[in-house]
Amino acid sequence: MESTIPTQAPFAPRELSRLAALLRYEILDTADEGDFDDITQLVARFCDTPIALISLVDEHRQWFKSRLGLEARETPRRISFCTYTIEGEGIFEVPDASQDPRFADNPLVTGEPTIRFYAGIPLTSPDGFNLGTLCVIDRRPRQLTAEQRDTLERLGRQVTRLFEERLQKHRHAEQAALQQALLDSAASAVLVIRPDGRISSINTAAEHLLGYSEQMLVGHSLAATLFSQEALARRAAMLSSERGTQIEAGFDVLTAPLQDGQRTMREWRLLHRNGSEVPVLLNISAIHDEFELLRGYIVSAYDLAHQENLQLQLQQIAAQVPGMLFQFCWRPNQQSSFPYLSEGVEAIYGLSGAQIATSIGPIYSAVYPDDRAPLLASIREAASSLSPWHFEHRINHPRKGLIWVEARATPLRQPDGSVLWHGLVTDITERKAEQLELDKQQEMNRRLLEALSEAVIACDAEGNLTLFNNTARLWHGLDACKLPPECWPEHYDLCQADGHTPLPWEQTPLVRALHGEHVRNAEIAIRLDGVARHVAANADPLFGSDGQQNGAVVVMHDITERKRIEKLQREFVSTVSHELRTPLTSITASLTLVCSGTMGAVPEYLQELLDIANQNSGRLRALIDDLLDIDKLYAGKMHFSMAVQLLQPLLEQALRSNQAYAGRYCLGIQLSECPELLVRVDARRLQQVLSNLLSNAAKFSPANERIELWAEPARDGRVRVSVRDRGPGIAESFRGRIFQKFAQADSSDTRQRGGTGLGLAISKELIEQMDGTIGFDSTPGQGACFWFELPTYGRGHAKDEART
Amino acid sequence: MRALKRILHVEDVPSIRIVTRIALEKLGGFEVLSCASAQAALAEAQAFAPDLILLDVMLPEMDGIELLRQLDKLVDLEQTPVVLLTGHLDQAQSAELGQLGVRDILQKPFDPLQLPTQLRTIWKAEHE
Repeated sequence: MESTIPTQAPFAPRELSRLAALLRYEILDTADEGDFDDITQLVARFCDTPIALISLVDEHRQWFKSRLGLEARETPRRISFCTYTIEGEGIFEVPDASQDPRFADNPLVTGEPTIRFYAGIPLTSPDGFNLGTLCVIDRRPRQLTAEQRDTLERLGRQVTRLFEERLQKHRHAEQAALQQALLDSAASAVLVIRPDGRISSINTAAEHLLGYSEQMLVGHSLAATLFSQEALARRAAMLSSERGTQIEAGFDVLTAPLQDGQRTMREWRLLHRNGSEVPVLLNISAIHDEFELLRGYIVSAYDLAHQENLQLQLQQIAAQVPGMLFQFCWRPNQQSSFPYLSEGVEAIYGLSGAQIATSIGPIYSAVYPDDRAPLLASIREAASSLSPWHFEHRINHPRKGLIWVEARATPLRQPDGSVLWHGLVTDITERKAEQLELDKQQEMNRRLLEALSEAVIACDAEGNLTLFNNTARLWHGLDACKLPPECWPEHYDLCQADGHTPLPWEQTPLVRALHGEHVRNAEIAIRLDGVARHVAANADPLFGSDGQQNGAVVVMHDITERKRIEKLQREFVSTVSHELRTPLTSITASLTLVCSGTMGAVPEYLQELLDIANQNSGRLRALIDDLLDIDKLYAGKMHFSMAVQLLQPLLEQALRSNQAYAGRYCLGIQLSECPELLVRVDARRLQQVLSNLLSNAAKFSPANERIELWAEPARDGRVRVSVRDRGPGIAESFRGRIFQKFAQADSSDTRQRGGTGLGLAISKELIEQMDGTIGFDSTPGQGACFWFELPTYGRGHAKDEART
Repeated sequence: MRALKRILHVEDVPSIRIVTRIALEKLGGFEVLSCASAQAALAEAQAFAPDLILLDVMLPEMDGIELLRQLDKLVDLEQTPVVLLTGHLDQAQSAELGQLGVRDILQKPFDPLQLPTQLRTIWKAEHE
């Protein structure tokens, strides 16, 4: 029955806005409220209807805020009478619904509650939206009187007014809850104070901070309860004198600055319920209403106890740090300050923290005048580059006098353009003194090196010259140059000991030391303008504190003069020897002739004297021969007639020549073995060597022992010739210099045993010049075995050749 | 082979000259002409006609080598064997020595007891 279905109430164009307006009142689906029930009672009684409703119409339904004579809380919108009411203006009245085509089929008409009569007035919000209705319903047809209609209208307006009130109340409650929540969630303690200075509320943080509950404080005077009266009085006196008016030592102390429009932030100590004092940072602001009337104050207290603890910790840490910890705020064109300074400020500057709380002037004045400008410059430099700052300067300390300090800090750019530095200033006076002492020492060393008559040159591990003293410059005629070691000999004109052969760079003493060698008395020559300067060089590797080699140093001593004198001495010895030889020749020859008896018999007493003279002239002759030999050998002027020949005949000849002499001391010489080998020697010089070794052996041999002479093949195709005696052996202390000139184990030996002390030195030179080596083995007390080794030339026949 | 008999001895140092002469005459039984200088030797050598010349190299005014050169030019002396007595010899001169008749060089100081034997040995070698 399509036509009988009640018409769907048409959607007004403003319907969405109306729904929004309805929702704004937050009233749908809320509990019953007496105010509204009073209205429905009144309107039902006055209109004499069994049913009265306050109906609110939303998108799909009408919901009853108050209902009288009806069980249902809501009915679908499409069957609601009120929909019609809210779409019109003024009272909508249906005298008999069963007769009204719009409602005749309505289930509310045909069934419960069998509506016949309906009259409703729209509930219009102040902004003109019909939110719902106040309506009366009867189960019989009827009409409202004019008086009843008027009452319905008036009561409808009252319902709307109640809606508004209700909404305002809700808003206030919310606001209050929000306010409390805000207060409670605030990190700092907040106290709300009435204009008269009494506490009206406090938040949870304040309860915790002060140990009171809100109830305990509400209504009490803030100043009297939570402040030390003494502190208030002090502050009151200060403010009074500042402002020139009397300020009471009460709440006024806190609010006075507000009257000047100042927002005050000040440290106070609030009294805790347990009697202790709580350090806080107090901020007070006034609350004014829209009419600029003072409604009270909000006092927020930031707990400084935690911060004080941190401060205390910092102080303790700072006390452990030698020197002064600081935080420095540098503003390019304004007042700079020290937001933090540790106690060390006294030790460094002789100032108290209070003295520099407001100005950095005292610190600046403490800086030694000459250091002030460089100090500022370095601060500016570090502030612009934001690089770590390090500056050493002097401070005029009132107690300690002039001290050296070292400042280190890291600058940090702040958003406001200032630069914040965190750093440390330490007293380095002692270290500085040591440094100065060290500098002095170094300067001394430098002067010493410069004044030294030795040339001193040092280089680092890479071969860069790091020291080149005055003498070095003088000798080389130039200063140190940056050159690789390979170029040193050429650049510095270095030669071998002969004064003209170029020195291979690997043999440069400094290079050898750089390779870890300890060079002792290496003879080289430095040439300058064609003149050679002979030097003895001592060079050593240099090691760093880590034990790693980090360079080398050479000290060169001028031995040119020494060498000249040595040469003169040698020439003198040579000349004298030559000159001695001539008279000695005649003396020796004469004595030989006389003593031989060939000139006729000599009386026995004369014979003895002549024998003594003859023997000693022989010794003198040997000495002179040796001196001349060694001179020739060292000068390289000894002539060698080298010939390849069999070794054995040479040994046999030596045996024959020395047998008689040896016989005077011991049992004689025994040639035990000799391989059939060829050697290349100057026969006469080899005899000289063998005679030396054999006569030495004879001199040190015990009387009933024999001297052994033998030859045997040695390594590398060489032959070793050995002479062994059974004497006392070679003393440990003598071994190192046994082959040196005039070396004798005991200086008294010369007289006891005869000999010149040149024999072994000559033998060594002779053997070496014949490409051989000489040496000895000895165990003290078990005799000595002297040997030499010579290259061999196979077996066969001798060939003659000569060599210069 | 004729025996070695006449020796011309040149030595500027008197003491050595005397000792040498004694050794040669008394030990060796030679006939000796001792000259104190090169000039004296040059003046008397030809007349003496020595079998062998014993010469000290270091002579004042004219040294032994120069003396040999001069003697070498004299008739009858070209083939005369020469023995040098010296403590020192300049190596540069050694090449020429054989040409000038030098047969041996004896080191100073020499052993006077050995000298006659040494000279006879050289003489013997000269005539083999």
